[in-house]
Amino acid sequence: MSTILEARDLVVGYGGNRALALPHLSVGRGELVGVVGANGAGKSTLVNSLLGWSRGRPRITGRVSLGGEDVSRLPSFERVRKGLLLIPEGKLVFGTMSVEDNLLAVGTGALGQGRRAYTVDEIYDLFPRLKERRGHLGGQLSGGERQMLGIARALRLGPSALLLDEPSIGLAPRLVSTVLATVKQLAASGLAVLLVEQNVRAAIEVVDRLVLLERGSIVTEGPAAAMRDDPRIAEAYLGAHAA
Amino acid sequence: MNLTQQLVNGLVLGHAYALIAIGWTVLLGVARLVNFGHGQMYMLGAFVTWYSVSRLGLPYVVAVPVAMLAGVAIGYVMQRVMLQLTLRQDLVSIMIVTLGFGYVLHGAAGLVFGSTGQILETPLSVIDIYWGDLWFTWQDVAIIIVAILFFALLKFVIERTGIGRTARMVAEDPALALLAGIDVKKVYLGVFAFEGAAVALAAAMVAPRTPILTSMGFDEVIVTFVVVVLGGIGSITGSYLAGLALGLFTAFFGALVSPAYTTAAAFAVLIAVLVLRPGGFAAAPGSR
Repeated sequence: MSTILEARDLVVGYGGNRALALPHLSVGRGELVGVVGANGAGKSTLVNSLLGWSRGRPRITGRVSLGGEDVSRLPSFERVRKGLLLIPEGKLVFGTMSVEDNLLAVGTGALGQGRRAYTVDEIYDLFPRLKERRGHLGGQLSGGERQMLGIARALRLGPSALLLDEPSIGLAPRLVSTVLATVKQLAASGLAVLLVEQNVRAAIEVVDRLVLLERGSIVTEGPAAAMRDDPRIAEAYLGAHAA
Repeated sequence: MNLTQQLVNGLVLGHAYALIAIGWTVLLGVARLVNFGHGQMYMLGAFVTWYSVSRLGLPYVVAVPVAMLAGVAIGYVMQRVMLQLTLRQDLVSIMIVTLGFGYVLHGAAGLVFGSTGQILETPLSVIDIYWGDLWFTWQDVAIIIVAILFFALLKFVIERTGIGRTARMVAEDPALALLAGIDVKKVYLGVFAFEGAAVALAAAMVAPRTPILTSMGFDEVIVTFVVVVLGGIGSITGSYLAGLALGLFTAFFGALVSPAYTTAAAFAVLIAVLVLRPGGFAAAPGSR
């Protein structure tokens, strides 16, 4: 499996406080990697810093490469145009614009090898619900529909790697399964996907590999099946008692 | 008093006000920025048009785009200088910097064009039209036509084109716009350049109605402020209607009470509207 997204010696700080220190993390083509951890573990900081994006003012050092190319010095929008897409937690659609305008308004660069930008019609085939709601404002959508629109807008930009920050937050359990199944499907289509998720029980069902973050550092990582039996995962997040 | 004449005056003034304010409307709507050098940019637009026509001998129709290009250049430079403040949305510093920029433009214009008042005469401003008891010039007609066309075009661009969608994204959430691959810095530069062009167009159209001086600009900023706030921050339709309303109000108040108190009265209306309807006329969220 070829590596698409790779981070080395990634350190993020806010003011004098270090929020994340990551020696190495990689995601291969078609791989779905889950990042789990408690609140404040540095999960969102991780995905945001891979893109060099934040609503705050972090200091980020280290190397991030996409498809072998160092993108660390590029501004966020340039990384997006190169195929590194983030679907952030919280506000992820433009509430005063229609669903269709949300899909049309994307700044695309030249698509590199192996990248494919979905057309609006292809998006509507993938998410028929968005087609039904095409004239509605983004702010009128339900939580699940917003997640769909956030993912759909990322697909419009021809991603090679997709970063998702807590896509299940605030969703009904049935919708969580639907959203995560879509994410799994996207990884299977050849995208490198990094999924930040607090819902470990749901995440572990779909990811190939799981990374546990605590206080900004990786505590353990490995194949999902093996991690299910890891006491640090089982006790804290799955409600099981280690033998 | 001829009420119909006041109506005509009000319509011409109203379209002039709307045209003067449109650059600021877009600036506030898209970039959440203010520009207190707006009045001096208007002054410079008027003088560049005057210089092109009177000194360089260019036809008026050529002088207008020349003034707009000068406006684009000034707007671009201004935004380039304060881009970091814009990205931080440091409004207090931006207010001071743009105010300072206005004074620099004022001083520079005084050096280049002198302090003597000038008359910007155009082929349209010298032709009077008498229609019954009514009087106006072809320049007045041109102001109304250009203002309507400009507003209609702008509304179309903002609502129906890719440029407009990009502008709306940045207006709503610049950080999220980055995640859609939008170069937000470039949008900010473009918006300021547009403001420069728009205010220069307004100056080239409206300034021929009165003598021009390098010291002018304050009244234009006040008018712009009233129109933009009454119209609802960033609302194109709201600005057009507010400009029209302010023009009619100014004309009738001047005729019925006294022209000396029109600015004070306009501010009284502004305060009343802000208290009763804080979002201006177009208070609905996302209205354009």
